[in-house]
Formats: sequence, structure tokens, C-alpha cells
Amino acid sequence: MPNSSRIHARNLAELYRLAAERFETLPAFATRQRGGVWKPVSFRELYDRGRRIGAGLIDLGVEAREPVGLFSDNRVEWMLADYGIQLAAAVNCPRGIDLTDEELVHIVNHSGMKVAFVESRGMAERCLRMRDRLPALAQLVLLDDGKGIPDGVISLEGLAQRGQARLDAGDADVDARAASIDAGDLFTLIYTSGTTGKPKGVMLTHANMMSQVDHVPIQLNCTDRVLSILPIWHIFERMFEVFAISHGACNYYTSARTLGDDLKQVEPTFMGSAPRLWESLHHRILNGVRQAHPVRRGLFHIGLFLGTHYREALFVLRDNDLRLEPVHSLKAALRKLRYALQWLVLLPWYGFFNAAVLESVRLKAGGSLKGTISGGGALPPAIDRFFNAIGIPVLEGYGLTETTPVVAVRTPENLVRGTVGPMIPQTEVRIVDFDSGELLYPNAGHPGEGRGLRGEIQLRGPQIMKGYYKDSETTAAVLSDDGWFRTGDIGMVTYNDCLKILGRRKATLVLRNGENVEPEPIEMRLKLSRFIDQCAAVGQDEKFVGALIVPDLEAFRDEGIEAETLEALNRLPEVRQKIQKEIRAAMADAADFKRYEVVKDFRLLDKPFEVGEEVTNLFKLKRHVIHERYADVIAGMYSKERA
Amino acid sequence: MIDPDIELLYAIDKALLAVMILVIMFGMGASLTLDDFKAVGRRPRMILIGFLSQFGFMPLIALGLAHLLRLEPALAIALIMIGCLPGGTTSNMFAYFARGHVALSISMTTASTIMALLMTPVLLNLYTAPFTRVIADQMAEEGSFFIPTKDIVLSLVLVLVPVCGGLILRKCSRGWAKVAEDTAGFMGMIVIVFLIVTTLGRHFRLVLGTPWQLYAASISLGLIGFLFGYWVSRLFGAHPIQQRAISLETGIQNTPVAFAIILMSFPQPQVQNDMLWLAVMYSIFIVVSSSCITLWLRKHGQFDWEVYKNTLIHGRLFGEAYQTRYPDDFLPARIAADPSQGALSGEQLRKD
Repeated sequence: MPNSSRIHARNLAELYRLAAERFETLPAFATRQRGGVWKPVSFRELYDRGRRIGAGLIDLGVEAREPVGLFSDNRVEWMLADYGIQLAAAVNCPRGIDLTDEELVHIVNHSGMKVAFVESRGMAERCLRMRDRLPALAQLVLLDDGKGIPDGVISLEGLAQRGQARLDAGDADVDARAASIDAGDLFTLIYTSGTTGKPKGVMLTHANMMSQVDHVPIQLNCTDRVLSILPIWHIFERMFEVFAISHGACNYYTSARTLGDDLKQVEPTFMGSAPRLWESLHHRILNGVRQAHPVRRGLFHIGLFLGTHYREALFVLRDNDLRLEPVHSLKAALRKLRYALQWLVLLPWYGFFNAAVLESVRLKAGGSLKGTISGGGALPPAIDRFFNAIGIPVLEGYGLTETTPVVAVRTPENLVRGTVGPMIPQTEVRIVDFDSGELLYPNAGHPGEGRGLRGEIQLRGPQIMKGYYKDSETTAAVLSDDGWFRTGDIGMVTYNDCLKILGRRKATLVLRNGENVEPEPIEMRLKLSRFIDQCAAVGQDEKFVGALIVPDLEAFRDEGIEAETLEALNRLPEVRQKIQKEIRAAMADAADFKRYEVVKDFRLLDKPFEVGEEVTNLFKLKRHVIHERYADVIAGMYSKERA
Repeated sequence: MIDPDIELLYAIDKALLAVMILVIMFGMGASLTLDDFKAVGRRPRMILIGFLSQFGFMPLIALGLAHLLRLEPALAIALIMIGCLPGGTTSNMFAYFARGHVALSISMTTASTIMALLMTPVLLNLYTAPFTRVIADQMAEEGSFFIPTKDIVLSLVLVLVPVCGGLILRKCSRGWAKVAEDTAGFMGMIVIVFLIVTTLGRHFRLVLGTPWQLYAASISLGLIGFLFGYWVSRLFGAHPIQQRAISLETGIQNTPVAFAIILMSFPQPQVQNDMLWLAVMYSIFIVVSSSCITLWLRKHGQFDWEVYKNTLIHGRLFGEAYQTRYPDDFLPARIAADPSQGALSGEQLRKD
């Protein structure tokens, strides 16, 4: 087939070599320079430099299957270091530079790494200062040597030169190492930032990653441009980058700050993304509309209306409507007939508005997006609906670090909103009751084999991790002997065989009256208000659900309520009133929320939740941190009740 | 032949149609800039190919169809006239969605709109002579019938007045020009609905009584035009992206101009009715057929478009000197042979 550019490999080292042979000078990665110019690095260049770095690592005494640290955020040198590590058959142990001292000490010592790559001079000095707490860490390699190299540290280039010297001497160790890799060997050891407790080292094998490249249902080839915004040391982003490499697509590194610009410049065809990104794009598009000429604004809303109902009809006609209950076939046929009519009536109008209005909205997202997978958290339904209506199908997926990560994802054919799509090939799911341990799905004893019943999601497949590093006890708790992995997430299988995620067990708030409340749907609903930037629902052991809210400075500014800081803003009485109104409006839809789930009180926070503090890099709330940090505020909110 | 006593369009309809034509042509002007006119000179080869298929083949296709289907003289004249018209702005929108070369489409529309002042009357006189004679014989007692060249030129000039108005607006305010452009696009759709409702709704018996030849003629003119545009440009070595633009540009004619000419230049009721009827049919069917063709071209052209786009973006991001080399077995032979690897030797897509 002329338009497939896919390579098959057994491990990452082989993949890197084959990619260089097949794609040669095509760009593998590109980084933004000044003035709209980007700097590409070709597959060949990456491999050649990576091979030198690999030889350099061997020269440093790194053994096969030995963990090597990589403390850096997204940059091309990250990938170079990874090439080196993989080609030396070592294990990449990555983490961003926002980690705390405690985490750093834990990761370095627990993994037993002797060599680590560090992104910046600052990071290197931090490690050197803690030298006595990191006894085994013998050598640091600096990725960014722009600000000079501290004593006892070598630069990436220095390491590559050592490797080159070794290669020049005719030593082909590095190639022998790469050839020695077994599919069951680890390619990475990821210490999860986690929403709870101490980091655990997740062991993922080459076979895990290669199964993802084989089974994740995305179509890419070497004309594709993938925009990378999520942290590379997170498995979700990492998998996409490996996926892109195996198809010869180029990864373009962007950041939250330059995203809008980069979307226009790069015109990505694919993006791995987190819900946060879609929320911000949604806000940006709506802001653009608000400022547009009234005629255009009107046209936009007509287009959106038509798009919403046109897609709705398509969903039903393609059996992609959310099915939590079995449907009688006659009823289903009648329903289809009704939607077929709706489709037919809307078609010409939608056709026109799609061309004249929605296309220009899509251009805000670069205009070339073929698809995008959202993961790392639940996508708010309204955001989901919005992007589908304007014709950018967001493929929501589901997975954990422990599952490399994708286990289920929507596809263009199975675009069932409200779910994370069907399981990917070779992946099995079962739903198990949390308390009794009863198998709910698949179970012939239940109607529909147990579809529509909620319980813990358990998974089995080629992407499930080997276990937690040096922690057989925790491993045994989540991984059964016959390969089933307990996710701790609550979910169900729908009647069109898609997986629906209902929340994380540990996030569940148990009110004083014993009612269980999932905070995530509530937070998602609240965040739809443009006045609410961030929020967290609280109420564990309390009488009602409360919310901690970070107001959106910009949104209030647009309304003419100006303040320099959140602190100043929160003192304005109209802000409190406005938020109160927004919450009441959000909660008004009684069909979605039970009475005890309604937010009854709230507090405004003077400081936004920050990455690495209250939220993870994927903007998931670290609830235990929030509860600790805002214990006083929360106590204040419930003081009357408690008294 | 349609009964000359039927009033196909009432006076008020005609007035409304005139207003809509005005709005559409104004919007067409608002979508153009002086640069688009200058760009015509920058790609003379492709413009020439376009010219050949628009004013060379299209009228001949119409003439051939008229003979083949043995159309009544007035219908034949209308068909040939539509064949001799310039391209409309809708073709630019279709070219965009068909992954065609939008800048080329715009250049072709611009060039053909100006050239039409000369070409339409000349070609019309050339090809319709035998049909005109038949009508003239039939109408001998009422007076003479001939192709009113002067009136046609005048109609074309009159139609260009709002285009110029739009051009001026675009120069003054981009925002309002965009609104005018969108309004015109929307109006284009309203015209179709309007025509369906007024003519077909009011004269439903006509629809049933219309001979199949008329349907065949109004549907095939566009379709054969697409086909010719696509393959003729390919013969001349056009890139698939240009092929798609030329194909759509050839098949889609500027129907508002057709209505303007018919209403202003052919006042004889028996002739006017027939001509209007054919123009209505063409206008309705061309929307459907170009939508279908666009969908097909879009799907069919996805691959070469993605190659083109990626190569172009590489050039934009990494510098013009950057050479994109795809793996050997990846590209179809035709694109692989192109040293620019699909990027049309540095020619840029129109940026907005």
C-alpha cells in the first residue's frame, strides 16, 4: 500500500533503528525557535546521536536492565537521552522537574539508579546539594548546558563524545546490547505522581509498549503532524510519541503559553490531549465569538445548533448513542426513523453552515485535525458535545500508567459520547462488585450479561504492567495471578459495548448520612461556567457537599469587574453573588444531580491550584493535598453544622 | 416548449431575484482583493488551462448536448449561454472543501469574470446562430429575433458594478467585507430555495411535463464540465490539487449572471420562459452535483493533499531551503516524480 508508512518492531531500540532506516531525513521532532521558525531533528540524526549516547552510557558503566534517571520536561534532548537509554538496553526512569525533594530522594534511592540525566543546571545543583541523601547516584548528565556545567557533571554532548570515542575504537557493544533486549524487559520505570500517597514505580515492558503501537486505533503516516503538549514523562504522551515514531510522523513540542499560536503554525493533524486543553480551547473559541460581529455571532449559534442536532441524528443512526439499558428493537427502529428524518431535514442547512461558519471555527484548532485522543481525566459532557458539533470529534480514551496506558478509546466508528469507547483489541474488561467481589460483567446470570451494572473495572491484556518495582505486596493487591488488574475505578459496560467511567473509588465523598457522592461530575459541571476557573468539591463526613472555587479573573474582567489579584477580586461582593448564581444555575438541572449531591455552600480561594501542588501535570486534583492545605477553609464552611 | 402565457416568475419574483443577484455579486467582490487580480498574472499556465476548459470546452459541451438531445432552440440558447458564462464564487468554496487549489480557483474566477465581457457575447453569437435562425423564422410575424449582443454586454457590465462595490468595501473594512461575503454565501442558498419554491411549487405541472431531455441537459452540463476540467488539466500536467480546482471551476457557472442576462436581454416571453426554466434547473442541480463531486474529490484527494500540506508546512516552519524526502515506496509515482514532493514548487495556498 503506498500510503502506509508503518514499521513493526519488537522493542524500542529496534523501532528507533528501523525508523532511522525507513524515514531517514524526515523530521521526527521539532522545537519552536524565535520568530515562527522551528528546528527539526531527523529520524536519522536522532538515532545516530542516540547511539553515541548509548555507547557513552555503557562507557559510564550502565548495565543492561539498569534504571537510568531522566529528570526533565519536554524537549528534544529528552528523546535523545531516551534513545541512548533504550539502545544501551537500560531502563528509562523519567520524571518532570517539578518533583519535590522527598519524591526525588525516594525515586533515586528506590530505583537504585547510578546515572541520571537532568534538564537544567538548577536541577543538577539541586541533586548535588542533596548528594549525601542520594548515595548511589554517581553521575549526572546535563541536557541543557546553556548556563554552564557544574563540577562533576557531564554534558549530553560530552557523553556522546565518550560514546563516539568508544565506537571509533571499534567497540560495537551498543548494537549488541540493543539486540539482546527481550520483549519482557523493562523499557521504563515510571514513578506515578498519583493522586494519593507515595510514588510507586510502575514497571512497563517493551512488549507492553509495542502492543500499544499495534492496537491503539489511530491512523497516522509520515505526513502527519502531532502536537505534543502533555508532559513526556507521562505514559499517555510517551505512548503517542512512540506511536508517531513508528509511523514516521513528526512531533512538534508546544506549551500551554504558545498553544494558540502553534495550532495555527503547525496545523497539527493529531493531538494527544487532556480535558483541560479542550476546556481552554472551548473558552478561547467562545471568547472569540463573544467579541465577533453580531451577524457572525448569530451565524455561529445557528451553525452550532445545526451541528449539534445533525450530529445527534448521526449518533443514533450509527448506533452510537449512549445505551445504558437494553432497547426494544421496534422502539429502536422507530427512533431511528425519527432521527433519519431529522438528519434529512438538517442535511442541506448543516452542509451550508458547516462550510461557511463551522469551518472557520475549526481553523482555530489548526484546521487539519483528523482526530485527537483525550485522556488522563474525564472530558466534561458539554465540552464533548461542543467539539463534536463543530466537527472535531474528540476521541476520549481511558487508561492508567499501569496499562501503558490505553485500554479503551472511542474511534470514529464508535463515537459513543459519555463513554470511553470500546476496548482496544486483545484487551478484556470485567466489572466486579467492590464489596461482594461478585462478577457483574460478563456474567450470563444478569440480563445483558451484566451490561449497565456498576462496579470496579478490571482489565487484562498485553499492555498491563509487570508490577510495581520492589513492591510485591502492592503488586499482589492489584494484579491477580491470572493477569487481571484492578483499576480502583468505577465503571460499567454499555449495551453497545463501550466502557463508561463513573469515577474513581478513592475520590468518592461519603457524606455524614452515608450517601456516596462522586465529586468529579459536580466539578465538571461547575467548571462549565466561564467565571469558575478551577474548583474542588468537598464534604467527606460532612452534612452536605461544598465547593472550593477559584474564580476566573479574565472572565470577570470581561464583565467589567476588574481586579489585579484573586485576593482583591474575592473581596468584591458582586463576585460572590455571581458565583453563587452560577452554582445555582449549574445545579438546577435536577435530572443530573440527586438532592444530596447539590453544592450548598462554597468558598472562594485566593490562589489557583498549581501543577505539582494541588493538581498533577494532567490537572487531576490531588484531593489529599487540597484537603490538607485548605483544612481551615473547609472547616470554616462547615463550622455552623459542626457546632 | 413552455406555454408563453404562463408567468414563470412574477414581477415581484424578478425584482427579488434582482436584489439577490445584487447581494451575491457584491459579496463576490467583497471576497476578492486586488492581489487576487495580480495573482492571475503569476500563474499564467494554469489560468490558460482553466481558460481553455471554461471558454473552450464548456460552450462546446453545451453545444454538443443541445444537438445530441435535440433541444428546442430557446432551451439550446440558454444551455449554450450557461456554457459561455464565467465561474462563480461558489466554486471557490467548493474548491476549498474538495482540497483543491483555492488561490487558483479564485484567480480563475477573477480572470473569467473579466474575460466574459468579451468571450460570452462572441461565443454566444458563434454557437447559437442556427438556433437563433429557427426562432427568428417562428417569430417572423412578430418581428425579428437575434442575439442582443449589446444588451448582453450591458448586463455583464451591470453585474460587475456590485462586484466593484464589494471590492471597494473590502479595501475599506475587512470585517464588513467578511459579513458581506457570508451574507452572499447564505443568499446563494436562499436563491436556490426561492427558485424551488416559486417555480416548482407554483408550476408543479411543469415539473412533470418537462421533457427528460431538459433534465438530462441541465444535469449533464455540470457533470461533463467537471469531467473535462479534471482530465484536460491532467493532460496538461496539472497537480491533483490544481486538477480539482479546475474541474470544479469548469463545471460551476455563475448562475446569477445567467439570470441577469436572461431577464435583461431576452424580453420575449416565449423565449424568456424557456431560458429561465433551464437556468432554474441548472442552478438547482449544480448545487447537488457539485456537493457530491466535492465530497468525492475530498475523499479521493485526501492522500495527495496531506502530502502537499505537510511538505508546505515543513517549508514554512523549517525554512524554504528545507527538503522533505518521503520514503521511496510511500508516495504514488506521480507525486514522487515531482521534485517539490507535492508542494507545487513553493506556490503558497491562499492564506486568510
